[in-house]
Amino acid sequence: MPSRAGTGDGPKARQGTPKPSFSPRARRARGHPFQSSEHMAEEHAIELQGVKKSWGDVVAVRGFDVQIRRGEFFSLLGPSGCGKTTTLRMIAGLEEPTDGRVLLEGRDVSRVPPYRRNVHTVFQDYALFPHMTVRKNIWFPLKMRGVSLAGAEERIQRVLRLVSMEGYERRLPQQLSGGQRQRVALARSLVDEPAALLLDEPLGALDFKLRGAMQKVLKDIQRNVGITFIYVTHDQTEALTMSDRIAVMRGGVVHQVGTPDEIYGRPATAFVASFIGEMNFLRGRLEAPEGTAARARVGGLEVRAGRSTVPPGTEGRDVLVCVRTERVRLNAQRHTDHEMDGTVRRIVYRGTDYEVTCSLEGQEMRAVVSAMDWDSTLSVGAPARLCFNGGDVTLFPGSEAGEIVQYTTEAV
Amino acid sequence: MSGRRISPPRTLARGIPMTVWMLLLVVIPLGYTFVTSFFQVDGLQIAARPTLKNYALFFTDPMYPGILLKSMLISLAIAVIAILAGYPLAYMVSFRVSRGRQVLFMLSIIPLWVSYLVRIIAWRTILGNKGVINSALEAAGIIREPLSFLLYNRFAIAVTLTYICIPFVFIPVYTALEKIPRNLLEASSDLGAGELRTFTSVVLPLSLPGLVTGFIFAFIIALGDYIIPQQLGGTQGIMFGNLIWSQFGFAFNWPFGAALSFILLAITVTILRLTSRFGSTEGGFLGE
Repeated sequence: MPSRAGTGDGPKARQGTPKPSFSPRARRARGHPFQSSEHMAEEHAIELQGVKKSWGDVVAVRGFDVQIRRGEFFSLLGPSGCGKTTTLRMIAGLEEPTDGRVLLEGRDVSRVPPYRRNVHTVFQDYALFPHMTVRKNIWFPLKMRGVSLAGAEERIQRVLRLVSMEGYERRLPQQLSGGQRQRVALARSLVDEPAALLLDEPLGALDFKLRGAMQKVLKDIQRNVGITFIYVTHDQTEALTMSDRIAVMRGGVVHQVGTPDEIYGRPATAFVASFIGEMNFLRGRLEAPEGTAARARVGGLEVRAGRSTVPPGTEGRDVLVCVRTERVRLNAQRHTDHEMDGTVRRIVYRGTDYEVTCSLEGQEMRAVVSAMDWDSTLSVGAPARLCFNGGDVTLFPGSEAGEIVQYTTEAV
Repeated sequence: MSGRRISPPRTLARGIPMTVWMLLLVVIPLGYTFVTSFFQVDGLQIAARPTLKNYALFFTDPMYPGILLKSMLISLAIAVIAILAGYPLAYMVSFRVSRGRQVLFMLSIIPLWVSYLVRIIAWRTILGNKGVINSALEAAGIIREPLSFLLYNRFAIAVTLTYICIPFVFIPVYTALEKIPRNLLEASSDLGAGELRTFTSVVLPLSLPGLVTGFIFAFIIALGDYIIPQQLGGTQGIMFGNLIWSQFGFAFNWPFGAALSFILLAITVTILRLTSRFGSTEGGFLGE
């Protein structure tokens, strides 16, 4: 393809594109070309109102309500097929919601095609145009707004610097590594400063080490640029470490929207509890459902729970008694309000820690013991005292047992 | 790489059938034709006395280059029209249709399964004085006399050859379009391009190799054909293919026919070289 530098409507275009500076303050002061200035302060970058999507009988998203603040790093987390990508595509305009409304900066865009929405998607496989150099790929969104290549040069350079890809302008996508393509895709989506960036498992195709590095890069860029990020991932660690807030989804249903510590510390459902972190689930029978005085019986043992989502009036029904594996200590010196005798069944060494599975009242309870604190008397078949505080226990209705994600030792 | 482990003798053995095939059907006949093009005719005998007379004749008599030029222009027009007809068809089948796509694809290439001559005669039935078009127009009272410009001229050649060429454009274009990852179209739309700009900026450049291939197919088929001009071209519709054919068929001047063949071949190869270089630099990106 011949170079088009200098052709087209250079001067006019240059005039129409204010010099951007990638700082949140500058963005706020300048406002945005697509938003009316009157209600700038209050409105949310993105708002979903009862958004549903189905294809015939197949329901992908069953009603999503959320308000996403400007500059927020918001993650959609869930196993594959939970509807997170469909939700993202509805925000992008690549799918039309069956019902409900999508608002961008206060404007209903539910029926607006993607090319008239001021958001960009970073696709999982980057979707860089293979016949264009890095420079022309990044120029593309500006070109669509009538900016000449010469007029876009400065912004292209700035955004390349932002993703640390200076000097790669003339490369073709096929001459770049996965991580580099990722950066270019990011640059291309950022160059015309959209209201929000939609990232669809952007690190999914990268290897483990690179993914960690890219997580930091992404978070830094998001902080520097101040653009709202909607981040789709199935990786709980990624979501927890990067997000301001997370929506946890399963089967098209939003189980919980909250900050990482809310999601981790106060999971709303058994599914959330099982999907994020490592959780012990013991089957028990409810004795008292009331808030902090909740009690359940596991076999012959009584467990007091700091938290319960079980509705009142269900005494005697099945409940799930949950406690994080890292909150359970073995043969602890310090006092805890629950101490139960079990037997060690399995010990798995995981580098930084050991995961010890003990049998307790015919069920299993896992404890994570730091490698530093390893007590060498623990061995398979040996007795162990399982210690934890009732304040760390949550009760979920027994009916949610089917939603528990089966535990695997895989960390990622 | 499993290919590397095969011992050299076996690799050689594998190449033998192909080599024999190429030698027998391409290299030897072409070589023979090439040598013949430097021979002379003595009465009805070919004499193996080397001469450049055959090539000189082509360049000295303005009729021959004239017909070649006209043939090339007609072929160019045919190739362009075939692209204009075949590309949108391929685009539609590849991008716009989801149900019945296979059926449409088959319908598009089914003409290739019908005998060449049958299709030519079919066009004669359509374009003739008592043909489909004239009868229909007469029945509708639009014309009194049959339209005579429909058949036995260059128009008829162009129409029929274009029709013949469309599947040859359709197939490479369709293949190229099918290879374009669909998320590139989504990315384009997402980045602000409407449908038209997505087409011009993404789809067209990425399908260019297929388009170039289709163009070459159509151009070469049209340039080399002599049956359609003979059947539908009438007196004015002589093309370069007819010229070559007549040297072998009536004139018994094989050396001159061979020289004409080689001139055509040289032009074709030059065009192929030029366009395939163009096509491959763009097409290299489609490799993955």
